[in-house]
Amino acid sequence: MPETDPTPPRLPPRILIVEDDTEAGQALCAAARDLGADPHWVTTYPEGLAAAGADDFRVIVFDRMLPGGDGIDALAKIRAAGSTALVLIVSALGRAANKIEGLEKGADDYLAKPFDPDELRARLRALLRRATITVLDNDLVSFGEMEIRMKARTVHIGATHVPVSPKEFDLIAFFAANAGAVVTRMQLLEKVWNLHFDPQTNVVDVHVGRLRRKLEQAAGRPVIHTERGAGYVFDPQRAAPMDDAPA
Amino acid sequence: MRRLAGSASLRVTLAIAAGIIVISLSAMGLQYRVTARALDARQAELLTADLDAFAATYQQRRIPALRQAIDFRSRSMEPGEAIYLLQDRTGVKLAGNIGGWPVDITPVGARFDPAPVLHYALPLGPGGEAIRYRGIARELPGGFRFLTARAETPREATLAGLRRVIWPVAAGLVALALLAGWLTSRWVLGRIARVNRLADLVAAGDLSARLPEPRSSDEFGLLETHVHAMLDRIEALNRATQRLSDTIAHELRTPLNRLLQRIRTLDAPAPQKQALEAEIHATTRTFNALLDISAAEAASGARPGLVPVDLSALMAEVHDLYQPLAEDRAMALTLDAPPGLQVLGERSLIAQLLSNLLDNAMKFCRPGDSIAMTLTAEGDRLVMILADTGPGLPEAQRAEITRRFVRAERDRDVAGHGLGLALVQAIATRHGAKLTLPASEKGFRIEIAWPKLSRD
Repeated sequence: MPETDPTPPRLPPRILIVEDDTEAGQALCAAARDLGADPHWVTTYPEGLAAAGADDFRVIVFDRMLPGGDGIDALAKIRAAGSTALVLIVSALGRAANKIEGLEKGADDYLAKPFDPDELRARLRALLRRATITVLDNDLVSFGEMEIRMKARTVHIGATHVPVSPKEFDLIAFFAANAGAVVTRMQLLEKVWNLHFDPQTNVVDVHVGRLRRKLEQAAGRPVIHTERGAGYVFDPQRAAPMDDAPA
Repeated sequence: MRRLAGSASLRVTLAIAAGIIVISLSAMGLQYRVTARALDARQAELLTADLDAFAATYQQRRIPALRQAIDFRSRSMEPGEAIYLLQDRTGVKLAGNIGGWPVDITPVGARFDPAPVLHYALPLGPGGEAIRYRGIARELPGGFRFLTARAETPREATLAGLRRVIWPVAAGLVALALLAGWLTSRWVLGRIARVNRLADLVAAGDLSARLPEPRSSDEFGLLETHVHAMLDRIEALNRATQRLSDTIAHELRTPLNRLLQRIRTLDAPAPQKQALEAEIHATTRTFNALLDISAAEAASGARPGLVPVDLSALMAEVHDLYQPLAEDRAMALTLDAPPGLQVLGERSLIAQLLSNLLDNAMKFCRPGDSIAMTLTAEGDRLVMILADTGPGLPEAQRAEITRRFVRAERDRDVAGHGLGLALVQAIATRHGAKLTLPASEKGFRIEIAWPKLSRD
């Protein structure tokens, strides 16, 4: 069963996939379908540009080193054409420097090949979500009895104030923006710590573990759930862990 | 570099100016000498002409004729121009335009010969001032004494006028020479400075920097053409290297990606699939490290891409990232860095360097060990020290541990690709930082001296 979006649109969201490698293209299409989106797959740079300008896509996945051009160069053209689609670059140019370059040039996210199917789905889902819930400017974000105040940077569960460090609050804020969805370690490193490489030690897990224990203690039940080695799911209202991914 | 160019410019300016000044002053001096000599000759001619005339007169009718001639001349000539005097043997003046025989002049020479010539000064000016004369004094047969001289005034006036002109002209020439020198040096050194500026840009990492057209067809133009040709070649090589590493990335990562996607569809036990996935990820990491090392090495010393990075803050961030892990493993991770110390760098690379070092420390340290991160400003360097109380490094390994794939023999069983310190070394070099592994009594110690970014 495809995962349901919090605010389901009438038509499934459309995702443009520009990718010349068959295997990667199929994986991208499969991930898009898993998320309840409608993928449209082209294999060359000019086709990608034309499609991006012609149709209204929620998310565009662009490869680099395509026949005819580099997806990074397409970013400005897609924006200039008036598209509001969020762009995920998926590329074999996967060093930290490449990622930073891509993000600086306007990509909304950057995923290096080879990628885990789970990682890809997490990234795509986060983008689909961002495209739907465009603004999160409410000061107060609440999940049942859990309340997060963005400006004051405080977390309350019921009447209890949960003391969190600045970094822990950043973590909670990112989790809250992706509530109910799998968030990967790499996403956390990139979005919360602004680091684009993969440390050899499980530093992120330790941070999340601490936060999880803190929240669980205050709430009396799990708030952040571990997801089968893929990452974490923030869901204060879920009673017990359950699988997010379809078989 | 600019100061050096400045002094070269000064030297060239002065050399050119000195050359012009010496040549023009010599020319003016020569001109003066020639003029003085010409005037001398003219004066001598006048005197000789006078003497010739007197000689002719004396030849005809001796003293009376001479007396008449002198009388005639005395009437038309002022003593300021020429003087004449004829006395008889008792000293009585027979003719002339001066009162009496000047005391300090003794007659010398025969009759009206042009030589010997006497030079003397007499106080005969309008206000009694001395006038210089060139003339003769002779005793003629019968005891008559005869004296005639031409004033040197016209010659001196001309020369004085010349001198009056020479000084301002010389001053003007010096100024013009300096200006000419300055313009020449500016032009010559300007052409060289163009090439120097280009070299600076290239050294700072902008391989595509070129000089604007037009290029002249002289030697400077040729130099620029050569430099451009060299740069084109370097740039092409660099692009080829870059393309090669991009191609390697593409050609290896794409199949790795296919493998990774297919593993999920395999009908195999989950632990086996996870082991395969982990293997692929480990390969990718090694691969990333190698590409990072060569990219950092290629960019060594280049300025583009470097921005001010708050090293103190970045160390604090990385410290905070690793602190909970250290605590979980019962290691004491401490940070001692005064705030606000900056370097010119790439934040991501420096974070990676710190992360690599801490990963290493965590890997080898045991519970109870401590890991200290410190940063101190020493002169124009920021010295970053990471020291732990772990097992340290065998002495023999210390020299080569920063080479790729070098690992201590005893660490064969510890996970890792042996590129961590090679990447640390490459990142340090890319930032112009000096890495040392000083001997340490206990544990591993690494010192990295970064060029400090002065705040201005």
